[in-house]
Amino acid sequence: MDKRNEALLDLLYQCADDDLLVSFRGSEWLGLAPHVEADVAFSSITQNTMGHAVYFYRLLQELGEGDVDVLAHERPALKRRNAIYLEKRNGDGQYDEDPYFDWALAVVRGYFYETYKRVKLISLTASSYEPLAICAKRILPEQRYHLAYWKEWMKQLQQSSPIAREKIRTRIEEAWSQSLDLFDFGQYEQTLLNEGYITDPLELKQQWLAELQSTVKDLPSRPLEQLKNGRNGEHTTDLDVALATLSEVYQTDPVAQW
Amino acid sequence: MYHYLEHQKGSNTNEDPILYENFMQRIENGDKIEANDWMPSEYRDTLIKLISMHGISEIMGALPEKEWVPKAPSLERKLAIMAKVQDEMGHGQLLLRVTEDLMKPYGRNRQHLMEDLLSGRLKFHNVFHMPTKTWADAGMVGWLVDGAAIISQTNMLDASYGPYQRALQRICKEEVFHAQHGESIIMALAEGTDAQQKILQDSLNRWWPSLLMFFGPASAETTGSSKQEITIKYNIRKSTNEELRQAFLDKYMPRVFSLGLTVPDETMHYDDVQEKWIYQQPDWNEFKQIIQNKGPRSKERLKVREIAYSNNSWVREALAVAGGDRP
Amino acid sequence: MNEQDFYQEFEVFSRKNPRSGLMHQFSLLAPNEEMAMILAQENFMRREEVMDVWVVPSSSIRHMTDEERQALTQRIDNKNYRTTKAYGYLRKKWQDKEQGMLDEQEIMSWKEVKKHRG
Ligand SMILES: [Fe+2]
Ligand SMILES: [Fe+2]
Repeated sequence: MDKRNEALLDLLYQCADDDLLVSFRGSEWLGLAPHVEADVAFSSITQNTMGHAVYFYRLLQELGEGDVDVLAHERPALKRRNAIYLEKRNGDGQYDEDPYFDWALAVVRGYFYETYKRVKLISLTASSYEPLAICAKRILPEQRYHLAYWKEWMKQLQQSSPIAREKIRTRIEEAWSQSLDLFDFGQYEQTLLNEGYITDPLELKQQWLAELQSTVKDLPSRPLEQLKNGRNGEHTTDLDVALATLSEVYQTDPVAQW
Repeated sequence: MYHYLEHQKGSNTNEDPILYENFMQRIENGDKIEANDWMPSEYRDTLIKLISMHGISEIMGALPEKEWVPKAPSLERKLAIMAKVQDEMGHGQLLLRVTEDLMKPYGRNRQHLMEDLLSGRLKFHNVFHMPTKTWADAGMVGWLVDGAAIISQTNMLDASYGPYQRALQRICKEEVFHAQHGESIIMALAEGTDAQQKILQDSLNRWWPSLLMFFGPASAETTGSSKQEITIKYNIRKSTNEELRQAFLDKYMPRVFSLGLTVPDETMHYDDVQEKWIYQQPDWNEFKQIIQNKGPRSKERLKVREIAYSNNSWVREALAVAGGDRP
Repeated sequence: MNEQDFYQEFEVFSRKNPRSGLMHQFSLLAPNEEMAMILAQENFMRREEVMDVWVVPSSSIRHMTDEERQALTQRIDNKNYRTTKAYGYLRKKWQDKEQGMLDEQEIMSWKEVKKHRG
């Protein structure tokens, strides 16, 4: 296969898998948020985000990669391209048994990811791959609310009790050491940039940091770090568990109509 | 829907007879009572009991289906069931708000409702104490449990209490989507592989007694005492438990049979002379146990709710003092 | 611990488009108005168009009391003269004169004024 094409597919998998994992984690939260009203609103964001994943998988389907449900449910962890901070479980416990989930993680991840997604989508609106540019333009207006929601939570919790401030601070520290691969576009990065599919991730990182600095009081001063690089198919066991869950019913009969 | 009113302590009916007479007149005229209007305490207490139980059942009812949300077998199904369960949380929100306004004179709020649920004082609906073992159960809940809920909720669309009736208008509109969502899952399984058909039939067999129990016993004698008459007296609902159950069977039995499904009751049939469905009574003693939080999944569901509630209490405490952008 | 202060009541209103009236949707609990705003739309209007949303602390609303509602909103149903209902008979009369009735549809259509040349 032509390297340009492979690079493009890889980028689309990164976008699709990021949104799939974020929405999977969101779907585990459904019904469990700290406040009923916040739960309902959060679920709209999760549904929108899964809808975005579907858009990206559909672009892949159009390029001959296979059915969207096959792409979402059948690919092993090794083939997944999401950044690893996004696959991180919601806290301790299982969503259906003992969900000791951490709202501070939801807020920090929500705010960090939606800020990231926004700068990335803006860059993609100028992508040389026209269908991707169109897709980014469709998603952007809807995604504004996602960012506004998490930003509000971030702002308010930071101004609140010492316990909340500490929880948020701890989760920011954690995010800092696990999210570098968000700004890595994988093995084909140079081709992606040469072909004008997307902007240099270093530039996106600067934009991302600028937005974070406007809201977060004391961001860590050290550079971002990573545990593993999800863009290269390196993942944690959290992803294995997530994939087993999200494909549990599907795998009982992948060819059946559900 | 059976509202567990027998657990309510007797209300004081020593009301001012003139106010009471006026009030009953308004209700009979089809007037809607608003939150701050004068109302007899029996009416208020009945509404609190009824709507808090309805609301908290929506919130507890999100859990059995929610277990299948991340597992739903396609992206479309994941999205649809998420939207559906979101609606159920939303129904909980609407109904809790209605209850909270009614409880205000007693100085009680949402925190108390959640605490009452967790301590076992506030009961939730029998169907939500049951396990959802397979994806077919998620479909069965969406189709027939929601179907039963639609029957009982539409029966109260003209309820005399304005805020409740307005909440029900919103809820019933969304139930149209729920009904079709449930049908869609069931239809795919019914027309699917042998294995899919089998999990569907197994699911119906498992859910059958719970579905019959949904509307509560036909008469007070069955479980001790029932106050379904009170809700009828105050024009909150129109029909009795048995009438609602018969309406449910009328609507859904032909559909069940048309899919090639059977119910685990050989005596089940429509009697043309009596013009009603004849069915074997479920075990009402078991029903009593279930709603006392001694059902197959009562403890587990309450545990999930309790963890979600207390593990996140720091968020509510933090913002109770934060005040966001307040100057 | 007490979470009482987290549960502030807000009434939610929305407008569908620039011509539609402000509609009361429902109420919600939120710790402050910024949070109420961010929650309102997805709680009550996730299936419909929205152009604008208002959140108002419930305590700021002075609504009618039961007595006021009964005393101030009762009108005798004899005000047809204030509405077009009283004038339906004109349609036939104009018809006899081969003229159209000036009904709502007709008058509203006048907002489109024919363009003149030059
Ligand atoms: Fe519901
Ligand atoms: Fe429903």
